[in-house]
Amino acid sequence: MSHNVVAMILAGGKGTRLGLLTKKMAKPAVSFAAKYRIIDFPLSNCANSGINTVGVLTQYEPTLLDSYIGNGEKWGYNGVHALLTSIAPRQTDEGANWYKGTADAITQNIEFLDGVNPDYVLILSGDHIYKTTYNEMIDLHIDSKADATISVIEVDPKEASRFGIMAVDSTDRITEFQEKPKKPKSNLASMGVYVFSWKVLRKYLIADKNADTDHDFGGDIIPTMLKDGLKLQAYRFKGYWRDVGTLSSLHEANMDVALNRSDLNLYNDSSTRIFTEDTYSLPHYLGKEASIVSSIANQGAIILGHVKSSVISNEVLIEEDAVVDRCVVMEGSIIKRGAKLYNTIVAPYTVIEAGVEVNLKQEEIALVGGKVVR
Amino acid sequence: MAKVFGLCNMHDSPSLGKLTEKRPIGTCSFLGRYGLMDFALSNFSNSGIDRVGILVDKTMHSVISHVRDGSIWINNTKTGSQRIFFNENIPSKKFNTDINNLLANRLHFETEDADYVVVAPAFFLMSIDFRKYIEKHIESGRDISIIYKKVKNAKEAFFNCDVLKVENHTVKDFSVNFGRAKEANISLETFIFTFKTFVQLINHAREISTLFNIRDLVNYVATNNLYEVNAFSFDGYVAPILTFDDYCKYSMDLLSYEVRKELFKEDWPIYTTTHNTPPAIYGANAKVCNSFIANGSNIQGTVINSIISRDVVIEKGATVKNCILFSGTKVGKDSQLEYVVSDKNVKIKEIKELRGEEDHYMYISFGANI
Repeated sequence: MSHNVVAMILAGGKGTRLGLLTKKMAKPAVSFAAKYRIIDFPLSNCANSGINTVGVLTQYEPTLLDSYIGNGEKWGYNGVHALLTSIAPRQTDEGANWYKGTADAITQNIEFLDGVNPDYVLILSGDHIYKTTYNEMIDLHIDSKADATISVIEVDPKEASRFGIMAVDSTDRITEFQEKPKKPKSNLASMGVYVFSWKVLRKYLIADKNADTDHDFGGDIIPTMLKDGLKLQAYRFKGYWRDVGTLSSLHEANMDVALNRSDLNLYNDSSTRIFTEDTYSLPHYLGKEASIVSSIANQGAIILGHVKSSVISNEVLIEEDAVVDRCVVMEGSIIKRGAKLYNTIVAPYTVIEAGVEVNLKQEEIALVGGKVVR
Repeated sequence: MAKVFGLCNMHDSPSLGKLTEKRPIGTCSFLGRYGLMDFALSNFSNSGIDRVGILVDKTMHSVISHVRDGSIWINNTKTGSQRIFFNENIPSKKFNTDINNLLANRLHFETEDADYVVVAPAFFLMSIDFRKYIEKHIESGRDISIIYKKVKNAKEAFFNCDVLKVENHTVKDFSVNFGRAKEANISLETFIFTFKTFVQLINHAREISTLFNIRDLVNYVATNNLYEVNAFSFDGYVAPILTFDDYCKYSMDLLSYEVRKELFKEDWPIYTTTHNTPPAIYGANAKVCNSFIANGSNIQGTVINSIISRDVVIEKGATVKNCILFSGTKVGKDSQLEYVVSDKNVKIKEIKELRGEEDHYMYISFGANI
């Protein structure tokens, strides 16, 4: 990439709707598709875009996420000009501060950005599942001489009132931003992915710093820029994109991969590979009486029972006669002999005792963790 | 703690037929994701040996692309190191010995700040903690030790391996296993040397023979009573990969949990290089049993008693039984394979049936389009 772009990934959120999955870790660290963590997607997208400097803004339970990010080697960020660093809120000369909002997380790291002195700043969310390169969006930002460019995705008009909606003119210049509107003026939803010209953003962040706002990009910075008549451009994202903030959306997105039914092409695509941690595991093993259909399974798993339409992560053990149907089984879990699970997310390192039945009625998505006994 | 240098030796290794025709034995694929050398290097790493050398007999690129910068097995990449030794100036194949390799790289090797050196081959697969043998070596006050295994199946396995006559933990004589007796003390060709002695011996070796390998040298000094050589017994599981048939047999043996748990121990990880492949995916008609399936594979057909490596595609209606398929193999629709070993990137399209035999697997070469 010829332009000087820094990506800042917002990864501080707790993800309260994911229950015990985020009890001890931030949402971006939650497992996805048997092998990955959610944050692998934006980080790999950055690597595949040739963006050499990435800051990950952590806040809630950052320890696991920080150590996971490490020196960035998993995504290739240990090369000569590459920098991937996680930045938690901290005590400074001005006192101790939490990140008070998405924009505040950047404001508190103006010095970091000034140090890199980029032309453009790409703001990303650490909890979205999608594969892309950001180059086309950045090119659009430059070519359209915009001050900010917002990635938007077309949503079902009936669903539009659940999103932040961008109204645009015939050139896709944004004319109005509506947060969860009752009467949406378009079906273009913001993905929370922004490109800003750094000098412009810097000015607005400083103005926002002591203002009485929520210090939020969608709620404060973007509306203020619009009000001031700045040029905000919409970039129409085409392809698979999911916010996996709820158990059902997390389950659904996992099923999209297991059933190979979406455009999230993890296979046969060498230009946008998703990088992640490798485990020191054997290839997974399927036993003499095992069966597996319409599923994905990661290395280290041992499957002796029956798996259908499921996601089986590394070091999972599924014993004889156990049935796992439409389940997401996260790393290190053990499902003992004869247990039956349907439509269930199994948190990492869960033990399901022999014969236990979970979610037989298969109504909503169940979530289990710890030790599950009859 | 003593400073120990580990040498993974690919010279003086058996031929696995076509499998090792164009690659050194160490990078030969094993169990879907490993290279044979991963076991020796992981044993070094798990034994706290953070400075290693790899003696390469041929095809450097295959080794370099597998071991990369060594950070896979090295703990601290600053204080630890991984060096690759290759002899660029061999006049003919017969001079391509480990000793000549070390002599050619003498300046890089002799300066190693080590008290002891452990030399381990790539073709005996085992999980072995070198620390306790190094301790015994130090206690003995001797300069050379050999690690061996007392086996009870020398009539069926370990052919042509060195057999040690051992008395009181000391090597008294060498012979070769021709399968005459059930029991034998098989040399695992794993040596511990006091580093200074090792350097002296290597430099002295040429005066005895320019064709010597380390193994010959130890044999020579022991049988001529120049050194007393320790014999230390290892009683764990060993898979000797000495022939193509061995390769097939010991791969398949690992499908059994009882065997697998002897080689892959929970506290003894085997490290290997990552290829960033997604989890394996199974279609609605997949039927798989008693098999290893590596990541990146796409299974739409039937797989029985097989080892499927990275990025293998098995299309609908295809059946793969008792096979070992290397990475990138594609098995087309309705093809039937039994007792086949396919090397990397083999594409099976038009031919609908390929059948080897249980004691004679059919081999399909690297990149073949059938």
